[in-house]
Amino acid sequence: MKRLYIPLILFLLTILEGVALDLLPSELIMSDMLMVPHWVFAFLVYMAVFYDNDNTYHSVVYALLFGLLIDIVYTGILGIYMFTYALIIYIIHGLKKMLQGNFYVLLLLGAVGFILVDLSIYVIYMVVGLTDMVWENYLTGRLLPTGASNLVFLLIVYPFIAKRLARWGREQLTGSSTL
Amino acid sequence: MQFFRNKRLFILLIGFIVLVALIGYSLNNRENLSTPVKFINDAVGWTQEVIHTPVKFITNIVSNINDFKNTYEENQLLKEQLSQYQTLTYEVQEIKKENEELMALLEIEDSARDYNPIQATVISRSPERWVEQVTINKGRQDGVANNMVVITAEGMVGKIQSASEFTSTVQLLTGFDQFNRISATISRGDDEKNIFGMIEGFEEETNSLLFRIIEESDKNLEEGELVVSSELGGEFPAGLPIGKVKEVVSDQYGLTRIAMVEPAADLYELGHVIVVDRALESAEGSNDEEEVE
Repeated sequence: MKRLYIPLILFLLTILEGVALDLLPSELIMSDMLMVPHWVFAFLVYMAVFYDNDNTYHSVVYALLFGLLIDIVYTGILGIYMFTYALIIYIIHGLKKMLQGNFYVLLLLGAVGFILVDLSIYVIYMVVGLTDMVWENYLTGRLLPTGASNLVFLLIVYPFIAKRLARWGREQLTGSSTL
Repeated sequence: MQFFRNKRLFILLIGFIVLVALIGYSLNNRENLSTPVKFINDAVGWTQEVIHTPVKFITNIVSNINDFKNTYEENQLLKEQLSQYQTLTYEVQEIKKENEELMALLEIEDSARDYNPIQATVISRSPERWVEQVTINKGRQDGVANNMVVITAEGMVGKIQSASEFTSTVQLLTGFDQFNRISATISRGDDEKNIFGMIEGFEEETNSLLFRIIEESDKNLEEGELVVSSELGGEFPAGLPIGKVKEVVSDQYGLTRIAMVEPAADLYELGHVIVVDRALESAEGSNDEEEVE
C-alpha cells in the first residue's frame, strides 16, 4: 500500500497544476510575468534527494512517466516534459551523490533544477516554433518568476514531505535491486 | 568505467531521437488523437473534475468577497442599464418575430446563424503558458467535434483543438497562429460594403488579436467597431462577437492593413463555456482540403 503513495501524490500534483492558475489573482496572470508551476518536478527533486539512494533511480523513472502525462494532458506535444524532467532529475541525482541530503542541498539543487528545466523547455519550444520570445524577455518575464514561485512551493512543502520520504526510502529500498 | 560512460551517452542519444520522433509525430497529429492518448485524457479529465469542484468553490468565495466591495456602485449602474434593456427586449422580440415570418415566407429553413449550444465547464488550464489551452468536460459522446467554436456569453474564446470521448481541449484565441485562422467581418449596414478579413494571431505585448483586412470598405475603419465571425470560413456560424477594434496599422510590407482587436470575452477567468455546433451542414470536403494544406 505504501508503495502507492508516491505515484498517487505525483498524480495529484499533476492535476493540481491544471487548476494552479485559478488560484492566482487574475492581475498576476494578465501581467507580463509568466509563472509556470513545476510542482511535479519539485516533488521529484525531493525524491532524488531524500528517497533514492546512490544506486536507485526511482525518481528518474517517475520523471519519465509523469513528464509524459503532463505532455499528454496539458500540451499535446509529447516528449518535451518527459525528456527534460528525466534528464534534469538524472543530473540532480548525480549531483546529490557528491553532496549530502539536507535542507540547503535541497534548496540549491531545487533552484538549479527549476532553472535548467525551464531553460531546456524554452530551447525546445523555440526550436519547434511554439514560442518566439526573445532571450531578454524570457529571462525576466518567465525564468525568474517561475524559478522564484517554484522555490516558494519547494519551501512550503518541506515540513510535510522531507522526513516522510526519507523514511519511505529506508523502508522500501533496503534489499531491493538497482533499477 | 569507459564502458559506462559510453552507455550513458548512448542512452542520452536514444532519448534525443525518441524526443524528436515524438515531437514530430504529435505536432502532425494534434487534431486526431491516438486511442491511448484519448483514454489518458478522459481518465485524467475525470479526476480533474473531482478536484476542480472544491477548488472552484474556494476561489468563488474569495471573488465573492471582492465583489461585495463595489456592490453599491455596480447596483446603481445596473439599474440605469436595466431601464434601457426593457425597451431593447421589446424591440428584439418584434424583430425576431418579423424575421421568422419573413424567413417562412421565403422558405428558408436554417441560416448560417443557427447553432446547437453544448454547455460545458472548464476543468483545467494548461500550466504551460506558451500552450494556451483549457480542458472542458464534454467530448465526442456529447457531440463535440474538432474545430467547433467555443464561446462564452461575452464572445468567442477559442476553438476545439481535439476531442476525446468525454473531454476535449480548447485552443484559446490567445494561442492562435497563422495555421488557425478565423474568417471575420465588420458589418456596415445596407448601402456599404462589409469589411472582410481573417483573425490571424494574437500579440502578447498589446493583448490584442490581429485582424488582417482582406476586403476594405469605402468608409474608414473606426475605433470601437465590433468584429464578428463570418459564415464564409465554412466552419463557424455567423455573428458571434469576437472583439472590438482598438487601432488600425499597416502590415510589415505595407500592402494590407491590420486591425488590432481587443477580445470581447475574458480569456483568463473561464468558468462555463458553450461549444457551438453549427446547425447548417458544413462542406466537409473543403475542410479536409484545408487541413492537408
